[in-house]
Amino acid sequence: MGGIVGIDVGGTFTDLFYSRDGVHVDAVLKVPSTPDDPSRGLIDSLMAADIDPAALDLILHGTTIATNAVIERKGARCALVTTEGFRDVLELGRRDRPRMYGLTGVQNPLIPRARRWEAPERIDHRGAVLKPLDEAHVLGLAEALAKEDIEAIVISFLHSYANPAHEEQAKRIFESVNPAWQVVISSAVVREYYEFERTSTAVVQGYLQPLVSAYARNLTSRLEKLGFAGQTLVMQSNGGLIPLPQLAERAAHIVRSGPAAGVMAAARMAAQAGFHHVITGDMGGTSYDVAVVVKGEPRIAQTTELDFRVPLRLPMIDVHTIGAGGGSIAYLDRGGTLQVGPRSAGAVPGPICFGRGGKEPTVTDANAVLGRINAESPIGLKHLSRLDIAAAREAMGRLGASLGLGIEKTAEAILTIVNHIMARRTRLLSVEQGHDPRDFALVVFGGAGPLHGSAIMRDVGIRTMLLPPHPGVLCALGCAMADIRYDLSQTLERPVAEINASDVHDVLARQRTDGEARLADSGAALESVVVAHAAEMSYVGQIHTLRVPIESKWTLARIVEAFESVYRAEYGNTLGDIPKTIVSLKTAVSGVRVKPDAGLRMLGPVRAATPASYREVYFGGWIKTPIYQRRDLAPGMTFDGPAIVEQADTTCVVEPGLSARVDAMDNILVELA
Amino acid sequence: MDPVTLAVVRGALEQIADEMDLHLIRAAISPIISETHDCAHGLYDPITGETIAQGGYGLPQFLANMQFTVQGLLPIAAAAGGFKEGDIWILNDPYKSGTHLNDVILVSPYFVDGELFTLFANTGHWMDMGGSAPGGWVPTAREIHQEGIIIPPLKLYDAGRRNDGVIAMITANVRMPEQLLGDLAAMTNVFAIGRKGLDALVTGYGAPTLKSCIDEMIRRSEAQMRSYIEEIPDGVYAITDYFDNDGVDDKPLTVKLALTVAGSQLHFDFTGTASAARGPMNISDTTAKSLCFVALKHIFPEVPVNGGAFRPTRFTIPKGCIFAAEYPSAVGGTTDVIQRVVDVVFGALAQAIPLKTPAAPFGTTGVSTVSGTHPETGKYYIAVYPYPGGYGASHDSDGLINGTPPGSMAKFMSVEMSEHRYPVRFAYLGIRDNSGGPGRHRGGCGTRYGIETLGPALVSILGDRVDHAPFGVEGGGPAAPNSVVLRTNGESWIPPMRSKAEKVAFHKGDSFHLGSPGGGGFGDPLTREIELVEADLNAGLVDLKAAETIYGVVVAHRRKVFDRDVFRLDPDASAEKRRALHNHRSRTERAERVPATT
Repeated sequence: MGGIVGIDVGGTFTDLFYSRDGVHVDAVLKVPSTPDDPSRGLIDSLMAADIDPAALDLILHGTTIATNAVIERKGARCALVTTEGFRDVLELGRRDRPRMYGLTGVQNPLIPRARRWEAPERIDHRGAVLKPLDEAHVLGLAEALAKEDIEAIVISFLHSYANPAHEEQAKRIFESVNPAWQVVISSAVVREYYEFERTSTAVVQGYLQPLVSAYARNLTSRLEKLGFAGQTLVMQSNGGLIPLPQLAERAAHIVRSGPAAGVMAAARMAAQAGFHHVITGDMGGTSYDVAVVVKGEPRIAQTTELDFRVPLRLPMIDVHTIGAGGGSIAYLDRGGTLQVGPRSAGAVPGPICFGRGGKEPTVTDANAVLGRINAESPIGLKHLSRLDIAAAREAMGRLGASLGLGIEKTAEAILTIVNHIMARRTRLLSVEQGHDPRDFALVVFGGAGPLHGSAIMRDVGIRTMLLPPHPGVLCALGCAMADIRYDLSQTLERPVAEINASDVHDVLARQRTDGEARLADSGAALESVVVAHAAEMSYVGQIHTLRVPIESKWTLARIVEAFESVYRAEYGNTLGDIPKTIVSLKTAVSGVRVKPDAGLRMLGPVRAATPASYREVYFGGWIKTPIYQRRDLAPGMTFDGPAIVEQADTTCVVEPGLSARVDAMDNILVELA
Repeated sequence: MDPVTLAVVRGALEQIADEMDLHLIRAAISPIISETHDCAHGLYDPITGETIAQGGYGLPQFLANMQFTVQGLLPIAAAAGGFKEGDIWILNDPYKSGTHLNDVILVSPYFVDGELFTLFANTGHWMDMGGSAPGGWVPTAREIHQEGIIIPPLKLYDAGRRNDGVIAMITANVRMPEQLLGDLAAMTNVFAIGRKGLDALVTGYGAPTLKSCIDEMIRRSEAQMRSYIEEIPDGVYAITDYFDNDGVDDKPLTVKLALTVAGSQLHFDFTGTASAARGPMNISDTTAKSLCFVALKHIFPEVPVNGGAFRPTRFTIPKGCIFAAEYPSAVGGTTDVIQRVVDVVFGALAQAIPLKTPAAPFGTTGVSTVSGTHPETGKYYIAVYPYPGGYGASHDSDGLINGTPPGSMAKFMSVEMSEHRYPVRFAYLGIRDNSGGPGRHRGGCGTRYGIETLGPALVSILGDRVDHAPFGVEGGGPAAPNSVVLRTNGESWIPPMRSKAEKVAFHKGDSFHLGSPGGGGFGDPLTREIELVEADLNAGLVDLKAAETIYGVVVAHRRKVFDRDVFRLDPDASAEKRRALHNHRSRTERAERVPATT
């Protein structure tokens, strides 16, 4: 048998993709997730696909266990030890509130105040020791905490990025008192300044580490029992993989594993199809995730807010989420204006047409009323064989009455509004980053994405939309396409005038060695190693930095020149002679995995696709619309909108005025006719 | 009106304002703009000056202030021959544009086929505008001139031509001209972003359709606002509160609000509020009105931000009172004064709609500034540390800890970044124990911090709420008041005006210590869940004395973990004690816990 599997363990479903030769898709399926022990759901999916683990070479895997543990506050019982006077660094944040308007609500820190302690010590911003660590105090504290129910210790001292000695010293003491503790120090997790963000990141690591290491242990032993002797690689939030044995020490790096995998897959598939600038849109039941890919590389965010006052300062694929999905509810606001979302009917009660007690009209109901989704064979619903269109129509009628709109016009208005909301976010994201969206292709996926992609591409002014072969399991596929990656960073925060070029070269060389050592440890079969350096820079005084790609041996003058050209590209001008600062130096070390050659695919003769059937679908009026089955479509086939493409994991809508063709990789490319 | 076009146009207009916000936040030099978002952008009707859309990333305090500024500029521009393509007006005159001299406003017209279609405006906080103290916070200022240079409404660009004389005049009068030029360039560039967005919209829909959408949007926002007001029981809700002093004369300043709710109309009457302060505790009436809307939007967050939402309101603000500053009153205390407007609106509405209104937040921005010459670089610096504090508790939740002022979204500088940039060292930064107002829901605790200067420096502090603490509602108690202690030459002392001190000379090793107020409590503390009191006690947010006397609990068991006590409470004994306390206390203390009313 042999082959590889990609598995994405989501909150609701575990998606699997299997390929015998690593190129062609041999199986795709969804099974329910098992949140109590997610490794079981993973094994279940292998069994359901009838795959013998003993014969597999490679398992590639994305997971939401880390995200869920943070959001649901189900991580480890940790204690936090900070510099004396700074016990509350984790809870204070940087003075803010959850929303701009409304003063209610509180935060829920991952480590409550009763488990936060202080240690007498102080280091300054240059790394000089102002007050030595009081070891007797730390020892006393460690002995006291050893009698309490605490699984992990997080140590975060001020300016430890400049000098980690005190953190390391304290770590040794805690480990000596109780070797069972997992002890995390902030300087080892992120070597950058900003005490709240660094502490929060270290706390996320400590909070997740026991859970993630138990998960890695369970998974390894389950797979071993089944005779699996290959390698398991796990997707990180930065779009790169790490081997399962390194998972625990990188626990904070996997919080957005699934979404990152989806973006990676979209980026790679688009690149294979010849599109290097891509906007990816993943629409599910409650949310729409959008990300930008430039020159084949997903944009990376340096800090991401996981929850109110839970920032994570690690490089992650920059995925933006808005509350627009199939379950988004349509309603009239008090001014009488039609609004859609962000409130969602969720899985329960769900859309009206699902017949689970939903009473409020949703986006899915609008798609159902307009005939865009097939009422006779609902996707992913076991409890009913037919959508309740009559109930959905009745609700549309009620909503439309006060707008002076008929049933279909109301449903169409709902789609227009939700599509516009998604298009706005899509545009804001690309424009915000200085791009012209017309230079991008749109890759839509997720259960609901392909229903709305046509409208989003038109609204944003995108020329081509790519519908991958399996939009519903794209994240699983993404794992199989990614490479191994380690990100390293270190704060410098000094004006360029005060820096020696050799300082820069030393830091970059150290980061490179460090990353390469971890790659060597991973044991993965690698084709090549790619090292990329960057400097985070700004004008002196600015808070927001720009990421400037640099080379390891550049002079400072060359670095400054590169900064100015990045600045000009971003803002259209420079600020002249104002001095510049290098805030931090970063290195990404990637191990490009050996992947089977996809070979040359044949497009086949260009010919018209044949519809499997026709049905009445509403596009400004009821139109007899061809319905294609995705499995019948082959490279070279073409068809025009209006058209519907049905497949097991989703429904694609090609609106009137658009034309579609199937490329050599089985993607459907949709363009303005 | 086609409902879909309306929704799409509204979204697109908001997007233009959002994109302008984001652009300036990313391009500005001043950390106050880039880090604390002390800016705002919007589109305004060229005839009425009403807000069409305002960005969602700038500060709340500019909510309606921008509209009033544009409305004030309209006759001035008309008298100067009207707006021309390529014009950019500039002003910071706080009697016209509100807030303080540091908030500089630019206004630029947008034409469609030669006809004035809309006005773009933005505001950004510039670090220093001259004046007697760096940064513009002059606690003892008696007239505006001590706070900096006034820019009356002027054309910075006349039909596309920059007026370099105006710029030279400004830069000659400020402490950090280089930074100011960077921010000015960034603010000017933002208009190109706005024009590009509007161009696309005009091409797509045509100016007439856009116009009618805008009119309809504003009309509907008004309807929406009225529907919320209609749900507030009719009546007159009055409250009196006090500022400690104005920084010059040590006597309290009265703040009086009588809020009349009649059908779908609100009338804010500030009659009885103290007349102009000799010190800087004054704001213009445009700012006072704007903050009334900020308070309303905190209670009804769903109301959209445009001119329609401002229509169902009327104001009586006596000429020359501290909420209607006139030349030459100093206005640098604006950061503190504006928060009090929010407090009293909450205090009035808490009487009418207690389930929707939070208790008073910490109520003072307490800006402290450290300035001087950096011993290592020889360069001049100004470091600004505004107070964080607790939010008032509400029917829904305890109050937030370490909140930003309700009129702001400004963050507190990172300690590590601060020590990199300025010759200061933080001794501590933490939650201020026992400072949240007690209640069924506890007010958020205040924050305490201590900063030591590493060389000679000047320290100024401008705060309030030492003598009059943030109030609780519905039986909730007041929060701990503000606290300021300076330590110079080895001696600790409290400034004569308690939380106001100007340019105190610090030497190496001197320090200042601030404790900000918490927020007021909501509901009777004797009804707070026992488990929550236990958690507060073990977290150190409430001390044992307060737990026993105010929350009426009984300790069952006490043990030591390292140097801390850990308590377990006795639920039955506590319930019994609470019953006894309730009968005793409800008569004697209740009067002190509700806001003072007249």
